[in-house]
Amino acid sequence: MSQTRENVETEQSTGGHGGLSASLKAAGRWFRRAGVSGQLLTLLIVAAIFAVGTKGRFLSLVNLQVILSLAAIPAIIAVGLHQVVVLGGIDLSVEGVVALCVVFVGLLLRNKVNTNDVGFWIVPIVIGIGGIAGFVSGLFNTRLKIPSFIATLGMSWILWGLAVYISRGQTVALLDTRFEVIVTGNVFGIPILAIIALAIVVVLQFVQNGTRFGRYLYAIGGDETLARQAGVKVERIKMIVFTLAGLFYGLSAFFLSTRLGGSQAITGNNLLFPAVTAVAVGGVALTGGIGGAKNAALGALIVTALNDGLILMHVNPYAQDAVNGAVLVAAVALTIDRRKLGFIK
Amino acid sequence: MRKGLITLTCLGVLLLVITAGAFAAPTTLAISIRTLSSPYQVMYKNGAEAYAKIVGLPLDVLTTEANSEKGLTDIKAEIARTGANVAFYVDPNDASDAVSIAKTMEAAGVYWVSWWSKPADVKVWDYPHWICHVTFDGFPAAVFTATELLKTFKTPGHGKIIALQGRLGDTPNAERWQGLQKVLADNPGVQLLEWESAEWDRTKAYNDTRAMLVANPGVDGVWTANDDMALGAIQALKEAGLAGKVKVVGCDGEPEMFDAIKAGFAAATVLNDGNYQAELGLAMSLAAKQGKLDVASLPHKYRQFEIPAVNVNAANADQVKHDYIDNIPTYDLSNFFARWSRALE
Repeated sequence: MSQTRENVETEQSTGGHGGLSASLKAAGRWFRRAGVSGQLLTLLIVAAIFAVGTKGRFLSLVNLQVILSLAAIPAIIAVGLHQVVVLGGIDLSVEGVVALCVVFVGLLLRNKVNTNDVGFWIVPIVIGIGGIAGFVSGLFNTRLKIPSFIATLGMSWILWGLAVYISRGQTVALLDTRFEVIVTGNVFGIPILAIIALAIVVVLQFVQNGTRFGRYLYAIGGDETLARQAGVKVERIKMIVFTLAGLFYGLSAFFLSTRLGGSQAITGNNLLFPAVTAVAVGGVALTGGIGGAKNAALGALIVTALNDGLILMHVNPYAQDAVNGAVLVAAVALTIDRRKLGFIK
Repeated sequence: MRKGLITLTCLGVLLLVITAGAFAAPTTLAISIRTLSSPYQVMYKNGAEAYAKIVGLPLDVLTTEANSEKGLTDIKAEIARTGANVAFYVDPNDASDAVSIAKTMEAAGVYWVSWWSKPADVKVWDYPHWICHVTFDGFPAAVFTATELLKTFKTPGHGKIIALQGRLGDTPNAERWQGLQKVLADNPGVQLLEWESAEWDRTKAYNDTRAMLVANPGVDGVWTANDDMALGAIQALKEAGLAGKVKVVGCDGEPEMFDAIKAGFAAATVLNDGNYQAELGLAMSLAAKQGKLDVASLPHKYRQFEIPAVNVNAANADQVKHDYIDNIPTYDLSNFFARWSRALE
């Protein structure tokens, strides 16, 4: 409905007397409605500062390719995580799921420690493992009534333990190079990994905007009791969201392992905090009910661009954490939509 | 009254059974290490298992999983379970943990040896049951790897490098960094363009290296403080089309690094012999417990000391891998100080 109104407005403005200023106004309205104006502004500011600070090197093609390539995996993880946040929960199982899936990638693709080689089946297998892990987290949350914080944290530890047990702490070097092109290749200068991430974001955003599932998701995030009274099958939606999150973590594990040319359980380490940061910077309210896939992806892009820019500007690593923290607070201040927040906890 | 008497009697019997069991049982060997998810830490476990088999005693492996509180709690539980009939080898999670561990061991009268981390101002000889603190000397290790890296430049000793440190503040990282600084001071033709802290993490090393390669074109070599980061840097170089042309050095002697050296991607690493670490630590603790080692009579230089690691480059990679990675050597533990290299201040 809103999309139709927007089209009519745009047509009127371009066909009538408004000309350029009317088009700009229409674009402004679209950005406001899209809920990513703050994120794009942040990205613009970050890019402008680093472009000046690096004498243009930040905006060079090779660096933009590096940023897009590095942002793709965190974006996929953040996109998986953000739906749980939109529901009003949190998913801390990222590192455990990725650890277990990475170990399976190493042991099932052609490697140095066994004779396995499942080839392209590895993709559905690890996505399936991730999905099952997410499903179990969902069961903990909906059936056992364990808060998502504890359910997913426990799940993460269980899977981490399994990953370490199965791998025996060893690193498995991959001999399979068939998938390398996905993580290293470009199409028209754009990293393939970034295109895959973008496709995921577009599809999920469409689902969130245009389907009953999407409406229910935001209804639960806005007020779970009201949603339940309105007949929304809250448990079912939660199960789907946790399972979807696991699927995305599994896919990320496949890309991570392929990119690093090997698998070890600790590959899953240090993924959770950047993902949560990306979700927050992207404007997804940690109180639930606000934000979409595009927000999470833009958040991941901002965080990656920030880290890349600090290195390109030769900012002292001792100071980087402080700079990172200050910029992230500023970014959240810019991106959060206060009109939609009833209160700040 | 009657109930209380019965309860007290039961508790007394239980206590007697436990105590009698502990006295009857053979001494338990125990190691407390950080994790079983890293190949290097797994070497500890393998060495400890080999030693336990030699002396025919049971072995318990405790892991802190980067949680200092868990580490201390597990140690206390192990002491209680064995009735203090245990010989310990401990790799404290943090340097500051060493003091609380020392007090716990002292209170229980358990002999123990520590590795890697302890506060510099804490002296082992202030604790009668703390036999010694041993560590691998990171300084000469880094001097060796940096020197090997410089040899790979088009004009040996003249070129530009980038570097990856581990977690800033970690003692081994500081020692290795000082080793690199020494080589840079001795070779004014070599310029350190930029360094980052990748916190011992392969994925972060990959990300940082990709950004640093954009920021610093024309790099001749990459120095890293450990092999995991070296392997991440190699993947980044591969994507930039520089692997093999720009060499990497690491430290720790992970199995994958030997392959990287053989493939021409890496120039050197240093093997910290975890098998020997565990065997020496347990042998000393057991000897002290059995009264075969008089701890009080040991001179201070034998209470806090360093031992050398094994230098690895293309010339000896195959041999070292065969001797230390593919097999566990048989160590002569009749002289605990056979590998003593220098006292720790």
